[in-house]
Formats: sequence, structure tokens, C-alpha cells
Amino acid sequence: MHIPDGILPAQVCAAGYAVTGVATWYSLRQINRRPDPAAEVPKASLLTAAFFVASSIYIPVPPASVHLILNGLLGVVLGYFAFPAILIGLFFQALVIGHGGLTTLGVNATMMGVPALLAYHIFQTRNILGKMLPEPTRTGVFAFLGGSLGLGIAALIFLALIVFNIPAELNAGAEQAAVLTLSVGHIPLAIVEGVFTAMLVLFLRRVKPELLEG
Amino acid sequence: MRLRLRFTWLLALALTSGAAPALAHGVTVEHRKVSSVELEARFETGEPMANAQVLVYAPGNPTDVWQEGTTNDQGRFSFTPDSSQPGSWEVMVRQAGHGVLTTIPVADSTAEGDPASTPATEAEAGSNSLISPSTTLSPVQRGITIGSVIWGFIGTALFFARGKR
Repeated sequence: MHIPDGILPAQVCAAGYAVTGVATWYSLRQINRRPDPAAEVPKASLLTAAFFVASSIYIPVPPASVHLILNGLLGVVLGYFAFPAILIGLFFQALVIGHGGLTTLGVNATMMGVPALLAYHIFQTRNILGKMLPEPTRTGVFAFLGGSLGLGIAALIFLALIVFNIPAELNAGAEQAAVLTLSVGHIPLAIVEGVFTAMLVLFLRRVKPELLEG
Repeated sequence: MRLRLRFTWLLALALTSGAAPALAHGVTVEHRKVSSVELEARFETGEPMANAQVLVYAPGNPTDVWQEGTTNDQGRFSFTPDSSQPGSWEVMVRQAGHGVLTTIPVADSTAEGDPASTPATEAEAGSNSLISPSTTLSPVQRGITIGSVIWGFIGTALFFARGKR
């Protein structure tokens, strides 16, 4: 789902960098307000490594094939650390694996990082919105929602970015059909990542619940 | 998903040899041999990029599409560049937001000399110009690079996890 170089016009790339800049500043400010800002860096760093590797894991969803993103998972587990983590992960993916590109780094970070922050807030509302659910189920359900919606919103942003930026020379109908097929392929992936997020969060809740307080 | 384009130059066909007419009931068929370019687009997974849109731009005119088409089921597409326009032809292959813009050098066909040697140098230039930095790495080098990055993340984690003593 990474947008490579040369697909989007320059204005969109610049706007992506602008949004990324603001989101990074906001995330870092939120992190800096904590009593010990460096306390969660180990967790964030390990999950950045997981994010970096995840995009090389392909899942065939006929007719396309999609790869893991894990942005929702990062949001749920890391909170505001998710945005810098995704930005750094994407930077190394663009350089080393060749997924995405440096001109579209801002756009990609916005596309995956902002939904990750939303996923975090979805997960944080579990104690307000999920009162009727018993405790382990509540955490599991909201982790699933965070993980799958984080990816789902990212896929919608991807769809919108491509559909609204089809160059005039291209056959717009064919391109729209192709990008729609690819986006539909992300629905099963969203479920997979949601389940994965729920499993990880429930595991953390059992072994190290303080990691989820954030 | 990243794409890698593999280009196969059709070298067998020499440039403009003599035209040979064949006449039958008023229908004229003339044939002449031209050199064309075949390209093959695949996703990084090795899957062919089937039915992707291809836009071909002539040298010196990056705004107007010279030819458009789609790749076949094997991700292949071929076109015959206008040999009177030597230079860098740009080909854009794109599908569902994934795509690559690549350059194919085409030599001047009107140049003097042995026509058979021209495509060979074209092929060389073609294969050189297509290598993007990451594709020059062998799988081992790639593995080491990826491993180093992961070790960087783990090292960062260990450094910050060392505790305050």
C-alpha cells in the first residue's frame, strides 16, 4: 500500500510532508509531556523493527496480493510513539526494501500514521464505550477495532489519494477498477491485523499490563 | 509493493531492410523489419503485472503521450519506437497506484554503420539505465542490509532498556 515515487503530483507530496511535520511535532510534544519520555522507547523501537519487516510479508488475496502494514497495531500498543515509529519505519523501507519512496515519504507517513493515532484513541475509549463488556473481552474487542480500523482508514486514504490523482492520460475507469480491487483486498487483511492486534494486546495484558496503560 | 521492470530487447529484427511487396487481388502487403522494444512488468513478488496501463512518451516531449496500451496476462508489452526520434524514450507502467517510470535509450537508426551492431549497444545501455540502486544488491547484500537495520532497532531498544543505575 506504499505509494512509490512518481505517482502523485508534487503538490500532494508537499502537502503530505506538511501534515507529517505537524503530526510528528504534535506526537513528540505529547511524548515529551510524560514523566519519563524515554521510558517507552524500547517498546517503540522493537515495534518499529516489526513494522519495518511486516511489509515484506505478503498475503495472497486473489486477484491481488497485499502485505501486512501493522499501523493499527502500532497505534494501539504505542500511542503517540506510533507516529514517529511509522515515519522511521517507512524511511528505512523506502531506502532499504524499496517500498514507497523518499518524495512520497510524507504522504505515506500521513496515510499510515494518522490512522494509527486514531486507532490509539479508539483503543483508549474502551473504558468509556465498552462498559457493558466484561474486562478481557472489552480489551480484546477494542484492540481488534483499533487494529482493523487503523488499517481500514489507511486503505481508504490510499484509495482516495489514487482515485483523485489519476493523470489525465490514463484510462481512468481501468485505473479506478484496479485500485478498487486492491483496496477490497485490504478488508481480509484488516480482519487479520485486527485479530493479531487483539492477540498481542491480550497477551501483553496477561504478562505485562503496565505496557498498555500509555 | 514494488515493481521491477525487466526489459527484453527484440534484437533479432534488424532495422529497415528492403520492402518486399506481395500482390494478390488488389491487396498489397508490404513488410519491413523494424526494431521494437518488449518490456515485462512484474511485482516484487514475481507476479506479472497483468493488464497494467502503459504510457509511452517520445524523447523531448514529456507531456504528450506518444502511445498507450496495456500489458498482457504475462505483464508484457511491446512497442516500436519511431527510429527517427533517437534519445530517451520514457515508459510509464502503472496499475492501482503502483507504477514505474523508466527510460529506454533508442539510438538513431539513420546513423551510418552496421545495423546489427546498433541494437546490441542499445541493449547494453538499456540494461544499465534500468538498474535502480536497490536492485544492484545481491540477495546476500540485501539480507545483510535489512539485518543491520533490524539490529539498529534492537540496539536502540536495548540501549534505552538498560535502566538507570
